Amino acid sequence: MLESDPSRDFSKHEDPSIAVPCSYIPLPDGPHTRELASARRMPPKRAIFKVFSGVLILALVFAIIIGGRNSDVHANGNALLATSTSSMASEPLRPVSRGVSAGVSEKANHVFSGVEVASFPWNNTMLSWQRTAYHFQPEKNWMNDPNGPMFYKGWYHFFYQYNPHGPVWGDIVWGHAASKDLIHWLHLPLAMVPDQWYDLNGVWTGSATLLPDGRIIMLYTGSTNESVQVQNLAYPANLSDPLLVNWDKYSGNPVLRPPPGIDSKDFRDPTTAWYTSDGKWNIAIGSKVNKTGITLIYHTEDFKSYELLDGLLHAVPGTGMWECVDFYPVSKTSGKGLDTSANGPEVKHVFKTSLDNDKNDYYAIGTYDEKSGRWVPDNPKIGIELRYDYGIFYASKSFYDLHKGRRVLWGWIHESDSEIADVKKGWASVQSIPRTVLLDTKTGTNLLQWPVEEVDNLRLTSREFERVEVKAGSVVPLDIDAATQLDIFAEFELDKEALEMTAQTNVEFSCSTSGGAAERGALGPFGLLVLADDSLSEQTPVYFFIAKGIDGNLKTFFCADQTRSSEATDVNKQIYGSSVPVLKDEKLSVRLLVDHSIVEIFAQGGRTCITSRVYPTKAIYGAARLFLFNNATEATVTSSLKIWQMNSAFIRPFQPGQDA
Amino acid sequence: MDVRLIEQTCKQTPLYDVCVSILKSDSRSSKADVTGLALIMVDVLKAKATGTTNYIKTLLRGNLKGDVRRGLSSCADLYNTVLEADIPVAIEALQKGDPKFAEQAANDAGIEARSCESSFSGHSPLTESNKSVQDVSSVAAAIVR
Repeated sequence: MLESDPSRDFSKHEDPSIAVPCSYIPLPDGPHTRELASARRMPPKRAIFKVFSGVLILALVFAIIIGGRNSDVHANGNALLATSTSSMASEPLRPVSRGVSAGVSEKANHVFSGVEVASFPWNNTMLSWQRTAYHFQPEKNWMNDPNGPMFYKGWYHFFYQYNPHGPVWGDIVWGHAASKDLIHWLHLPLAMVPDQWYDLNGVWTGSATLLPDGRIIMLYTGSTNESVQVQNLAYPANLSDPLLVNWDKYSGNPVLRPPPGIDSKDFRDPTTAWYTSDGKWNIAIGSKVNKTGITLIYHTEDFKSYELLDGLLHAVPGTGMWECVDFYPVSKTSGKGLDTSANGPEVKHVFKTSLDNDKNDYYAIGTYDEKSGRWVPDNPKIGIELRYDYGIFYASKSFYDLHKGRRVLWGWIHESDSEIADVKKGWASVQSIPRTVLLDTKTGTNLLQWPVEEVDNLRLTSREFERVEVKAGSVVPLDIDAATQLDIFAEFELDKEALEMTAQTNVEFSCSTSGGAAERGALGPFGLLVLADDSLSEQTPVYFFIAKGIDGNLKTFFCADQTRSSEATDVNKQIYGSSVPVLKDEKLSVRLLVDHSIVEIFAQGGRTCITSRVYPTKAIYGAARLFLFNNATEATVTSSLKIWQMNSAFIRPFQPGQDA
Repeated sequence: MDVRLIEQTCKQTPLYDVCVSILKSDSRSSKADVTGLALIMVDVLKAKATGTTNYIKTLLRGNLKGDVRRGLSSCADLYNTVLEADIPVAIEALQKGDPKFAEQAANDAGIEARSCESSFSGHSPLTESNKSVQDVSSVAAAIVR
């Protein structure tokens, strides 16, 4: 192992009550570092705030007065503030290669090999527009996985992987927020920090289990002082505090170490426990053996001692490490969510995993026989088949909301812009709007996800458009005033003649390898252009594409095309999407939540979902517009829409007295 | 020095020769496991990025045409990000055992180097440096994987 950088040693003199080693320091010159080191010995949060805000003001002043490029580095853990007012012309749009070349992981998402991608001169106006109004995100810095979501004593709780020191991953702690309605969140103090040997190198992802006697069990992965992944037990310090501000760690931690045959770095993200009739609680933990992704199951009665079961819950060769596994029941009949321990003939079980290999979340529906502890997928040929979301959606975690009797799903939505932009803007990542999850009883083979109904309370004014005709090859502007915070519900119909007459094709369509919204087919693409400007130099088409296969059957696809979403070349320009089942007599429908740099899309009632991050340079603030479009060659499309302006959720720090 | 470990590890990277020559000439690799080799590569990446940053500063002191100066300023920002964000994240992720963030960080460093190269409309004074950084970052990302 390499020696640590001597300029970082001052972190060891930290106030032990805030023992988070700061790795985000990094100045080239020595003396400057030492100055800030002494500033840190003040109550660190206040020092950071003073230095940060002082320098922020200075930096802005420089930007205005001097006007040239000016970089100020503030190394007390906060983001690099490079204020740039360069008059450099933006790079001419270069052709972007389609698709991600094989072997390039999903994470290397902004560059396609061989293509030159210059860094765009993002300014503060463009960057500050990107912050969302009603999606959960901390006030600044980096966030990743959702942790321990639950409902307790009138409040929804949300925890999350958070870096208190900068807009990139590192120094991970558990952030915490609470809300009465899953939408209006109030930030609370950090719930857990790495202050024990068994989580010194990471307080990582975990889940909550609510026991029938009212106790709360939080199991989470710790990375020990020797970087071994272990599972630890924590619980609220005071169950009568509805805000659950303080948390205690069990003195006997860790409660689980990697078992024989499992690598010390392949053992993380314990699930919520479910109770089986043998009187035991069960938890699942994802792992891998060679290249086979697996899920281990443990029995426990007290959450302190565990017994590893012989059988695996599920395994699929060639899939690599399974992170953030989730396992929960769904009802075949009622339209309601089920407690994690529910079972019976009317119940199917969903198994879900996040694949480290491609950074996507996959699920499969099957049957759980609790006597044998075995879960069998309905379609055993494919080990993990469907994705929750065909855009950006990872490390997702569900919980049973006993307040409203529904299963609710959270997903981490990372940025798809350049890292340097994240550093400039001082934050990275948002969470999806929580979604209810139900079995699609009409198809039986997929889930339906839909934004929780409380998001409807953000709706302000609405405009309705009845039966707007959009002829083949045309664009229709929708006059709605502002277009950056919207809830849109749209239905589409094609003329029957075109559907019948269109010739078959033997070419299999795929959103990601297609030519996007510009590639015309007989029966598509048609849909909406969101975050577009008047001249359409920037536009994000979200659309249906109907293909007639060799067998004469129609197959419907839903795609989101980022290729022209921004004039900046350093943002992701992929096309996301998938096929979507459309049943006989169903109209084509889509719901969109537009919230600045995030667009969440739910096609056919939530059968196919796509979350996209969009970073326009011109289609921002008052210049953003919404259009209907139909780029098919043969079909005329008729659309009816209802569009609401959305209020902000005013997510902010909790204020005692004001908020409770 | 476990030459076989070095060779096996480097075979899984896109630039075997670059990988092997760096690791074999670094005495730390004698005691290193794969994570250790990754950390060595990240350290080399840091050294190259630091060298490039210093070179950029030197160039900026000279008499330059507007577009070259703008390109260099853009590069200064980009390399700043490599040193302030990517390198610390890669080191921390490797040391603490969540390597996927190290892979992302190593990839990001390569992207920043590539963006720097694209910042010059004409001739780039940093082509060799940028290529070197890109090469090492792609090797580092592959070792992490």
